[in-house]
Amino acid sequence: MQSKFSNSAARITRLGRRGCDLMEALGRAGVFLFQSAIGLPSREGWRLWLHQMHFVGVLSIAIVLVSGLFIGMVLALQGYTILVDFGAEQALGQMVALSLLRELAPVVAALLFAGRAGSALTAEIGLMKATEQLTSMEMIGVDPLRRVVAPRLWAGFVSLPILTVGFSVVGIWGGYLVGVEWLGVFEGSYWSNMQANVTFINDIGNGMIKSAVFALVVTWIAVFQGYDLVPTSEGISRATTRTVVYSSLAVLGLDFVLTAIMFGGL
Amino acid sequence: MTDAPFIEIEDLYFSRGDHEIFRGVNMTIPRGKVTAIMGPSGTGKTTLLKLIGGQLTPESGRILIDGQDVHKLSRKALFTLRKRMGMLFQSGALFSDLDVFENVAFPLRVHTDLPDTMVRDLVLLKLQAVGLRGARHLTPAELSGGMARRVALARAVALDPELILYDEPFVGQDPISMGVLVQLIKRLNQALQLTSVVVSHDIKETLSIADYLYLIADGQVVAHGTPQTLDANQDPRVSQFIHGEPDGPVPFHYPAEAFYRDILGEAPATQIGS
Repeated sequence: MQSKFSNSAARITRLGRRGCDLMEALGRAGVFLFQSAIGLPSREGWRLWLHQMHFVGVLSIAIVLVSGLFIGMVLALQGYTILVDFGAEQALGQMVALSLLRELAPVVAALLFAGRAGSALTAEIGLMKATEQLTSMEMIGVDPLRRVVAPRLWAGFVSLPILTVGFSVVGIWGGYLVGVEWLGVFEGSYWSNMQANVTFINDIGNGMIKSAVFALVVTWIAVFQGYDLVPTSEGISRATTRTVVYSSLAVLGLDFVLTAIMFGGL
Repeated sequence: MTDAPFIEIEDLYFSRGDHEIFRGVNMTIPRGKVTAIMGPSGTGKTTLLKLIGGQLTPESGRILIDGQDVHKLSRKALFTLRKRMGMLFQSGALFSDLDVFENVAFPLRVHTDLPDTMVRDLVLLKLQAVGLRGARHLTPAELSGGMARRVALARAVALDPELILYDEPFVGQDPISMGVLVQLIKRLNQALQLTSVVVSHDIKETLSIADYLYLIADGQVVAHGTPQTLDANQDPRVSQFIHGEPDGPVPFHYPAEAFYRDILGEAPATQIGS
């Protein structure tokens, strides 16, 4: 009886400690974001940001566009087989465009971005920490939050929405290739139905808001995990995994919340 | 130049988790001299440098650098103070995305508005001082451990700091690089009138360059004085360390259950302290 009681007491203590640790980590991450993102960049800051735009954004273009193409093609194929039963294959363009703009482009691009750029950011910052480069920068009198973290954070925040636009464009073109060129949907109805039913603010605008939110969250998680990790090889590997897992869960969870607010009438 | 000490450490307490690292450490580090802080591995020598540099915060006590309490400064003021310090890391800690030249130029580029030609001249002067002017185009990955430490030294003195902190400068060096580093530290200190703090456990090399020594063990200063006075110190803890005796107050064996009981399998599996 006694041991049962002490066991559950220990479990509650552990639970409490985990809760405290979680709140502390969230607090640290909040202060970290504030200190990194506040303030105007210097001329050198712009140069570093551009360099990171290349590393984080440009180098992610290939994977994002190729995925967008395949997803658009699959959407058209699946959509056609269902719509054709109802004789509604003219609505294919509208279906492909709305699915991509509202949901698939922001979500899938963010997931790919977390895997391609997020994990690389965590590993890079983590390795800089493990080899004392961040500490030596501090001792030289340069704040690593401004010099290392801020350019990466802003590069991620700006590049993911742009990649999302590319994902949608290529996806719609992939849908056209399969739907119109291969399955024989009338080209005019593919484009005109899309034009008539996709609205700029509701569909494109909301998709971009989603993408901006995902960009902030994924990059924040990636740079924080790199900065906060235990500076050993095991620590770096764990933090890199955490970046991908936490980012993916955060993107999918937030997507539901944002969709409920934007399209669910909440 | 005043005679006031450059660094004053007063009643410093610091722990990591349950492990107490410093329990009331007091030190004064004189201006313009080489002061060595020595002690067995794991006594927190590097931690002490991080406390001096303001990267860690003590539980109590204070550290004054040139009269300023390091841990009461704002983030901005702390970074300004750090411009007056250089630190040589054990690993060199060179920026892996920059070559040797740019590593040494880094502090000049971020803290001064000097034209490129002057930055170039200054960097070449510093690299010449450490004998690596010819290696300016190499990347950190192409350098040996000793060369990396010399480049890091050139970077640490790039802004002509008043204080330089050396974290285990002699660890893992072959005899030639070790000799080069000893000479460099000595020469730099004399030429630039720096205040140097050397954290090390390499006795011979450290005794040859230090003007004053502090020996720390068990979280406290156990002895301090000039190399001559410490050499003659009769305290068994000091004498064991200075003369490199394998056993003494710092035991050779990690605390454990009696050996015969362990061999016979009588000791509990998790027993550590006895």
